[in-house]
Amino acid sequence: MNFLLHIIATIAMGAPNILGFNMLFGRGKILHFGPLGVSIVAAYATFLVVMATGSYPLGIVCGLAATCSISAFFAWLSLRLDADGLGVMSIAMHLGLLAVVLNWSSLTRGALGIPRVPRLPFLDSTGDFALLGTCVAALWAWMLWQVDRGTFGRKLIALSEHEWHAKSLGIDRSRVHMLAFMIAGIGSLLGVLQYHQYLYLVHPSDFGFPAFIFFVTVVVAGGPGSVRGCVVSLILLSLLREGLRFVPMSPDVLGPLRLILFGAILFVAVWLRRDTLFPKQRTV
Amino acid sequence: MLPVAQSRGSALRGVLLLSPVQLLANALIAGSLAALIAGGLALVYGVLGVFNMALGQLTLIGGYTAWWLHQVAHMSVLFSVIGGLLCGALMTWITFEVFVRPFYKHHRFLPLVTTIAWSMILDGFILLAFEERPRSILSEAKSMISLGSVLISREQCLMIVLTIVALLLFAWIFHCTSFGRKLRAVVQHESAARSLGINSAILHRVIFIVSGMFAAAGGIFIGIDQNLSPTLAFSLTIKAYAAIIAGGKGNIWGAIVCAYVIALLEQLLVGIHWFGAFYVPAGYQQTVALLFIIVILLLKPSGLFRSFARTA
Amino acid sequence: MRTFFALSSLLALSLTACGGAGDEGPIKLGYIGPLTGDAASYGIDTLNGTKMKVDEINAAGGINGRQIQLIAEDGKCAGADAATAVQKLVNIDKVIAIVGGQCSGETLAAAPVAEAAKVILLSPLSSSPDVTNAGAYVYRDYPSDALKTKAMAAYFQEKGLTKVAVITENTDFAQGFRASLKKDFGDFAFDEVVEPGTKDFRSLMTRLKNVDFDVFLANGQSPATIAPMVVQLREQGMKQLAITHDAGQSADTLSIGGKSVEGLEAINVPALGKDTAFGSKFIAQYGEPQGAAAFGAHAYDAVGVLAEAIGAVGANGEAIKGYLDQLEEYPGVVGTFHFDENGDVVGMSYALIVVQNGAWVQTRPIAIPE
Repeated sequence: MNFLLHIIATIAMGAPNILGFNMLFGRGKILHFGPLGVSIVAAYATFLVVMATGSYPLGIVCGLAATCSISAFFAWLSLRLDADGLGVMSIAMHLGLLAVVLNWSSLTRGALGIPRVPRLPFLDSTGDFALLGTCVAALWAWMLWQVDRGTFGRKLIALSEHEWHAKSLGIDRSRVHMLAFMIAGIGSLLGVLQYHQYLYLVHPSDFGFPAFIFFVTVVVAGGPGSVRGCVVSLILLSLLREGLRFVPMSPDVLGPLRLILFGAILFVAVWLRRDTLFPKQRTV
Repeated sequence: MLPVAQSRGSALRGVLLLSPVQLLANALIAGSLAALIAGGLALVYGVLGVFNMALGQLTLIGGYTAWWLHQVAHMSVLFSVIGGLLCGALMTWITFEVFVRPFYKHHRFLPLVTTIAWSMILDGFILLAFEERPRSILSEAKSMISLGSVLISREQCLMIVLTIVALLLFAWIFHCTSFGRKLRAVVQHESAARSLGINSAILHRVIFIVSGMFAAAGGIFIGIDQNLSPTLAFSLTIKAYAAIIAGGKGNIWGAIVCAYVIALLEQLLVGIHWFGAFYVPAGYQQTVALLFIIVILLLKPSGLFRSFARTA
Repeated sequence: MRTFFALSSLLALSLTACGGAGDEGPIKLGYIGPLTGDAASYGIDTLNGTKMKVDEINAAGGINGRQIQLIAEDGKCAGADAATAVQKLVNIDKVIAIVGGQCSGETLAAAPVAEAAKVILLSPLSSSPDVTNAGAYVYRDYPSDALKTKAMAAYFQEKGLTKVAVITENTDFAQGFRASLKKDFGDFAFDEVVEPGTKDFRSLMTRLKNVDFDVFLANGQSPATIAPMVVQLREQGMKQLAITHDAGQSADTLSIGGKSVEGLEAINVPALGKDTAFGSKFIAQYGEPQGAAAFGAHAYDAVGVLAEAIGAVGANGEAIKGYLDQLEEYPGVVGTFHFDENGDVVGMSYALIVVQNGAWVQTRPIAIPE
């Protein structure tokens, strides 16, 4: 039972970040490959302050400030660069932030990570985290769904379909992008706040590129942009990933097989979604 | 040439006492490796506009095949190298037919995601076949030659020379033969080229496979000069794309030049006693490529060397 | 297809969630380690070492007649995966003890769960100083800092080497070594940290040529980085002594380094080479170790000491803890050791192993001053 609660907790805690990414990448077709870069900044800003001062409210405020700054920076990049450049640049930012964290060890303890992160007083057992995580994730999903269905979502879609026409209709691209990146950033912060308390640990190995590939798989498989699809595919793919542990095969073969399986799933998902992931523009 | 050079005036004088020539030689070695991979990739990107994120894995496959042929099947070095190149070409062809071609006519970003999927699959296979342990293609110690104050090994010299020869050969084909003219036409304006009767579909395949062979050559180079391990793949891909984006979209020579520039910056960043006061921590050496992309894209989003395509 | 997978995994989950532990039947032992990813080489080695000892014990009749069942989970050297792995092992498989994690991030993430469930977590490889205070149920048979680096510092002093040049790979393992060597030995003449996986050290070597040093310490994570360090050192014509630690003492260092690593020294626990009982048996069963034989040996001893504890006091977490705390000494492959009050290992001995004529040869033990 505890294991099930743990699975529910981890899925729920990862959901806000993936849902935010879904909105940017799936709905807005913005090639932002750096959500984990935002997560790194959020995690380290929050928890370094928490460890230094012992106060959660202060840590959260600092985390929020840092997240907003880095999200604003990414938004500025998205306005300034074309899509290809943004894709490569956001990967570069993610890896660059990771390198800074690893090398600036006087501040971040480098490769050793931050152990013994304290939990908030009302969060004690796995069940508490599962409950809180699910509530936060459900609230966040509902909020994003409303946003997506409303004016903002329509503006995002319009910009992704045809930028000039959307602008000529009076849609302010800078504002839309800034807002979208902020929302995604807050999603990262929400996820990171819960997750690292739960683990009692902030460790740079959790922010590598393979973790990001899971994000892409979930978004593409669920139908890019669709909140409901993203939630469903997140649950199913997470269950699959953990369910593979129960397959009775030697674990040193199971690992590579898991990589191959998820690669195949991503490939099939892209094939099935090839028209919705990056829609062809009407030329006539 | 580089904006960095002007600010390094005084530091340069300090540097001259520190065998900068050796640093240049180091940069040549590292740069040749990156230039091969980046050059092939730039051609693909310039023509198809497609990102191939499985590039690092294709590089590794070329290297591992050469390793296997030489160390396990005990074939001669030359044969193993050719075998590695052929295997790289074959895998690239598969990449193209399955993961790129069915997708890029829908949208050119789709292969970005499919090649990520392919890179995961290849990672799994490489782990199963070759395990996590490092492999080196040549097992004898390298014989060092000393040219002035520079120490360089015979194999490295050969690699640099071969790279330059390959690039020159490519340049000759590209600029002086009719096949190269067709390639350039497709790079400049594909529909117009097709309307002239140029079979762009076959050229796409050729370009992709050539980029794969260059990548495999890079992998063999790494296997001989350093060693191969499954985790190299991703950083190679990133570095190659750094060179391409910085060089300007569609500009092949820009990408190659940028590859050498990035290699030079990496070696210099770590090797020089800056302003006679401090050394940059070596952990940041790999981030030079990243910083390069970031700075170039911030200052000049279209890349260092614009490609001169007439739009009318 | 997706629905099928999801449903079957849900079914598997629900079925196994209702399992229970008993006093009869096999004793369940868990393992957490990186079986994929950058750290897979020592994940595989420690898994093989664990398996070797489990098979030996089972072949000899098991513990008090009960066979050991080993359940291995992939930690991927990440806290997130290790946390899920330990949750599964503790809640679903109901293991008595866990050999793991290997990466320090894995151990630190798994520790709170093991602690709460009163399951022993014995790490054969985590070297981070944070593991010392990770919990009362957390032990390790890999020395945290004091031992290895004291041995190396003593060796340097004995040979009169005062100026040390170090290149460290930026992982928790190598950084931990560097930090504690600095504490035991003092400042280094040349001290650089490189990104994990770097294989091109040429510019650093160029800088090193102008530095006055007596010995070069290749502080990498695996032969993939240690061997190129030494090779490129020699290529640049520097002839000073080169030394490394247990991560470098492996056959891969020899195959990659070739003649350049002739004369390379390593400080490691003794008796692990091809010609020893443990080494030859390991190679016969599992082939050459992917990382180093030392990793397999530490895991082998981890299982051994746990089995001894279970045999003495039964399959109960608290009882095993009591036994381990009282343990006087355990004669393992890596040395005769016991645990201090924090669960760190004490009592290892070290030897100097040198590459001579293309093979690792053990020359002499190194005394650790008290």
